[in-house]
Amino acid sequence: MDLALAHGGKDSVALSRRTRAARPDLEQVFRAAYPRVVAVAARVLGSRDEAEDVAQEVFLTFGRSDVPAGEALPWLSVAAAHTALNHIRTGKRRAGREQAARSHDTVVPDVADAVVAAEERRRVRAALARLPRKQAIALVLRHSGLSYTEVAAALDLSPGSVGTTVRRAESALRKELNA
Amino acid sequence: MKRHPNDGVLRRLVDEPAGVADADREHVASCPVCSAELITARQDAAFAAETLHTAADPDVDAGWERLRVAEPVSAPRRVRARFRSPIIAGAAVAVLLAGAGAAAAGDWFPIFRTERIAPVTVHQADLMAMPDLSSWGDVEITSRPQIHQVADAAAAQKESGLALPRVADLPRGVTGGPAYQAGRRISATFTFRAAKVAAFAQGRGEATPSMPAGLDGSSFRLTAGPGAAAVWSSRQGVPSLIVARAVAPTAYSTGVPFATARDYLLSLSGLPADVAKQLRTFTADGTTLPLHVMPEEMTSKPTEVDGVPATLLTASDGVLSAVVWVRDGVVTAVAGSVSADEVLSVARGLR
Repeated sequence: MDLALAHGGKDSVALSRRTRAARPDLEQVFRAAYPRVVAVAARVLGSRDEAEDVAQEVFLTFGRSDVPAGEALPWLSVAAAHTALNHIRTGKRRAGREQAARSHDTVVPDVADAVVAAEERRRVRAALARLPRKQAIALVLRHSGLSYTEVAAALDLSPGSVGTTVRRAESALRKELNA
Repeated sequence: MKRHPNDGVLRRLVDEPAGVADADREHVASCPVCSAELITARQDAAFAAETLHTAADPDVDAGWERLRVAEPVSAPRRVRARFRSPIIAGAAVAVLLAGAGAAAAGDWFPIFRTERIAPVTVHQADLMAMPDLSSWGDVEITSRPQIHQVADAAAAQKESGLALPRVADLPRGVTGGPAYQAGRRISATFTFRAAKVAAFAQGRGEATPSMPAGLDGSSFRLTAGPGAAAVWSSRQGVPSLIVARAVAPTAYSTGVPFATARDYLLSLSGLPADVAKQLRTFTADGTTLPLHVMPEEMTSKPTEVDGVPATLLTASDGVLSAVVWVRDGVVTAVAGSVSADEVLSVARGLR
C-alpha cells in the first residue's frame, strides 16, 4: 500500500499484483510436472488432498512467473516443498476441517487405526517443521526423486553438501520420531 | 589409510553410489568405522523414506481443469479498484499538498516530512471532480519506482534498504509463502505555471484566482520510497495479504513556503470547504500525510500499533481491511482480504 502511496498511484502495484496472462507453456509444464509436484507436497503434508491444494498454489505462481521452462521442475519442486512446509506452520487451524473431512473419508477402516495414523502424520509434520528449512527441503526433494545434482542446483548448494544436508535431516528425523 | 570421507559422501553411497569417487568407495568398504556409519546412514534413509511416503497419484486432467478455472479473470480488478481509490487519493493529495518537484537544480529545503498519516473523508464525486496537478503546472516524474518481483526477503531488503517485518501468525485462510517485491525511490517534480492555471480556470468558466508572488515557475520535489512488500496470494490469485514498508513521502521546495503553495492549491482544487479546512489543519506542521477515505467504499478508524498511532481502513462490505502507520519516517502497511481484527493482529504481531 505504501508503495502505491509512494508511487503517486500511477501503477499501484503493491496492492494489485499485476495479473499477467498465464504463460503459454503452462499446460505442457503442468501435465509433465503435476504428479511430481503433488508428490513433493504430499511427502511433507502426508495428505494427497492438501498436497493438491499446494500444487495448485505453486502452479498459479509459476504461471505468472518467467521461470524458463527448462528450469521448471526444480523450481516447482522447491516451491512445493516450501509452500507445504509453510502450510504446516499455519496448519493448526486446518486441523479441525481436516478432521471433519477425514470422517467422511473411509480409507482407514478402523477408528483406532485412523487415530494412530493421524497422530503419526501430525508428528512427522511437526518434526519436518522443526528442521532447518534447507534440510527439510533437501530431504523432501531427494526422497521425491531429484538427483543430488538437481537438489544442489535447486537449493544453491554444492553437490558435495547435499549428502551432508540430507544425512543430517534424516538423522534428526529418526531421532525425533523414535524418541 | 586415507582419511574417512564425510557423512555426505556416506549418504550418497546409500542411493547414488555412482556419484562417489572410487577412492572413497574403496575406503568405506575396508574401514570398519565407515562401514558402521554407512549402515546407520542406510537405516536413517530407509526410515525417512518410509515415514515420508504418501501415496499420491493425482488426476492430472482434473488438476489442470481446476487450475484453468482458478486463473484469475475478474476478481483482482475488483480488489484493485477498491484498494486503489483511497490510496491514490491519498497520494494525489500528498503530491498536491506536499508539492512535488523541481525543474532547475537549486538549494532544496524540506517543507514536508511524513511523521503520521491521517484520514480525510472526501466523497467520491468530489474527488473525481478534482483536477489533476498537470492542470496547474508541469509534472515530471524524474525517477520511477519500477516495482518488481524479487527472489526473497533478503533481496527485497537489499534493494530497498528496509527490513521487511516477519509475520508471526498468518490469518485464517492465508497460506503459503509470500512473493517479494521491491521498488526504488520515486522522485517527481512539479512546477507551477500561471498560464496553465489561467487556462484551466477559463476552461471551467471561472475567474483565475490570483497567484501569490513567486509561485509562478517555482518548483517542488516529492520523493518517496524505496519500498518493499511481501505478498501472499490466494488460490484465486488475488493478494490475500500484503505487508509493505517504504520510506515515507518527503517534499522539498526551492523557496516557496509550504503554506503558500498548499493554500493556493486548495483554492484551486474544488474540494468542499470543510475538506479544505481539514487538510489545512492536518498539514499545518508539514508532517501529516492525509489519506483520503471515500465513505462510499471505506471507513477509517484511529487505532494504534505498538504504541504508534495508526489508521485502520475497512471496506464497507467488510471484505478488505488495511492498517497503516508511520514510524521514524517509514510507512508500514498491512492489508488484505481479511477482517479488521485479523489485519490488526498481523500488524501488532510483526517482528
